[in-house]
Amino acid sequence: MKLWVKISLLMGVILFLAMGIFGGGIIYQTLEYNRNQMVESSQEQMKVNAAVLAKEIGDRSMEQFGDTTQRSYLTYLVQKYGGRDYMLLKDGEVVANQTSYRLLPGQEGRWQTTEIEYEIQKTGGRYILVMGQRLGTGSRDHYKLVLVKEITSLYEELFKQVGIFLILYLVVIFFAVDITFWLVRMVLKPMRELEETAMAISEGDLSRRIRIRRNDEVGKVSVAFNQMADRVEYQMAQLEDVSERRLQLLGSLTHELKTPMTSIIGYSDTLLHVKISKEQEKKALEHINSECRRLERLSGKLMFLIGLYDENRVLKEVYPVEKLLKGVEAMERYHMAQAGITLEISCKADTLLMDVDLMESLLINLLDNAIKASGKGDRILLLAEKNRICVKDYGKGIPKSEISKVTEAFYMVDKSRSRKNGSLGMGLALCQKIAALHDAYLEITSELGKGTEITVVFPPQQEGQKEESL
Amino acid sequence: MKNRILVVEDDTAISELICMNLTVAGYEVKAVFDGDEAEKAVRTQGDFDLALLDIMLPGKDGFELMELMQKKKIPVIYLTAKGDVGSKIRGLRSGAEDYIVKPFEVLELLVRVEKVLERTGRQISRINVADVEINLTEHVVLKNGEEISLKPLEYDLLVLLAKNKNVAFSREQLLSDVWGSDYLGETRTVDVHIGQLRKKLGFSEVIKTIPKIGYRLED
Repeated sequence: MKLWVKISLLMGVILFLAMGIFGGGIIYQTLEYNRNQMVESSQEQMKVNAAVLAKEIGDRSMEQFGDTTQRSYLTYLVQKYGGRDYMLLKDGEVVANQTSYRLLPGQEGRWQTTEIEYEIQKTGGRYILVMGQRLGTGSRDHYKLVLVKEITSLYEELFKQVGIFLILYLVVIFFAVDITFWLVRMVLKPMRELEETAMAISEGDLSRRIRIRRNDEVGKVSVAFNQMADRVEYQMAQLEDVSERRLQLLGSLTHELKTPMTSIIGYSDTLLHVKISKEQEKKALEHINSECRRLERLSGKLMFLIGLYDENRVLKEVYPVEKLLKGVEAMERYHMAQAGITLEISCKADTLLMDVDLMESLLINLLDNAIKASGKGDRILLLAEKNRICVKDYGKGIPKSEISKVTEAFYMVDKSRSRKNGSLGMGLALCQKIAALHDAYLEITSELGKGTEITVVFPPQQEGQKEESL
Repeated sequence: MKNRILVVEDDTAISELICMNLTVAGYEVKAVFDGDEAEKAVRTQGDFDLALLDIMLPGKDGFELMELMQKKKIPVIYLTAKGDVGSKIRGLRSGAEDYIVKPFEVLELLVRVEKVLERTGRQISRINVADVEINLTEHVVLKNGEEISLKPLEYDLLVLLAKNKNVAFSREQLLSDVWGSDYLGETRTVDVHIGQLRKKLGFSEVIKTIPKIGYRLED
């Protein structure tokens, strides 16, 4: 059952019960009150009448009259002091009756005391008040005065009221339920929107949001829902991004594997099937050998990249930065001379805590990249200052949109993936990994056409370690 | 007269591999290593019978070179690591004659090159092996100027071997290439026909039996 139906029904039931009990109670109270009023006034009246009658009867000695005279006299008295509603009994026999009722046989024995006794009798849809008492006449005869009065009108009035009440009651309930129904629907309307939006999102439309129009609880739920949706959308986008990168990495990897594979399969195939000269045979074997080595290098770097590199194998020592730079220069000298590029070194740093082999390969990687980006006659700067080592070139630079991607494995700005320099396209990804092993990070700034500057920033506390080492 | 083939491949090892095999098989080869170089080669000496193009190249990529190749009417075979269907379709739609995915087998490359040359009518009209001349247009085999009569299958077998000089074929490969892939013959059939060729042409030294592999026609 829908919530708004439930709430409306519940509201209806509560109203129905509450109003019913309340109205019923009030009507019952009114009846009681009216009846008591009636009984009390009748009692008062009767008391007075009884006293007067008793006095009149007591003053005359009734025995002196004949029976008929007695009766007409008594009738006269009842008429005079009572009225239409009274009857008088003498020794259990009705002697004067002004009412239109007869006393049922067997009733004569009642009303033995001077206290008033009363009851309400219901006969044929009529309500009749019967009230009686013995008269304290002092004579030896027993006189009883009985009042018989129809009070049906009292009840009829009541029934009329009940009728009116019921009609009002139903009308009120009808409107109340109706209003509740509309109110609840109105309050819950944003819920429907919430539901629709949630459905849309679960069906993949992650950009759907709820319009927020109020500040109540529902509005707050909507705000929270929108926040959740934002978060989900963001996370989904991130996941997609990651999986796309993974996919690209895998794609690059297979491509990277295919090239050496092609050579190895091709040359071995040639050796098996084709008649070639001894010289060519040697060349083929050399190619197979070098391609296998490339594969090995690739797998090694990959292992490193996926984090299989054993961190315990990182041997950090306090090492003079100048010595590191000189070592790197020596290794790159030939390469640079070939490319017609000059390397300028400036060292204003003392020592840093590092794994020398790893740091060397990091710098060589950076220099190789710089050489690739530079042209003949360009210069490359290798600068060290405090906790920063920087490689700066004046080559082609990296487009802004690509800067964030250059540290991805196999990423090359030049899509042709030229491997002329034997690069594997894993350089910067590895550099970043190596930097991370030193608690350092890479800072890349680049401008298209002007050059690139990549800085390895070591944590500043290394300064302190430098002091210790001295 | 040899067919001239342009090899555009940036990886030197693979480029050398292709050139080595094409040369041995009797083609004249020009190797270039990037797109711009390829463009220059085609513009300056555009009489190539076929181009083997890598797609991912420094400079102009393989797809970009296609237009020029078509203008110069040079048939193209793409030779690339891009093995996805999308790239294949794009390659073939752009007008390439064939599409070979790396890593490839040398024999497959040679046969595909041969088929493309045949299809585009650029195959050379005669092949000389020792003192034997095969006239491909007239289907005539001459030894020292004298015509030798060969059965059709013997002729096909000779042509296949002669077109791929110095390359060894297995008996199964010969069977499927000459007799057709649905031929349910025995490899012995090949031996019989090779025997006939050797006898008729005096090729007992020219068609060599390569142990465990098959046969090879050597210069």
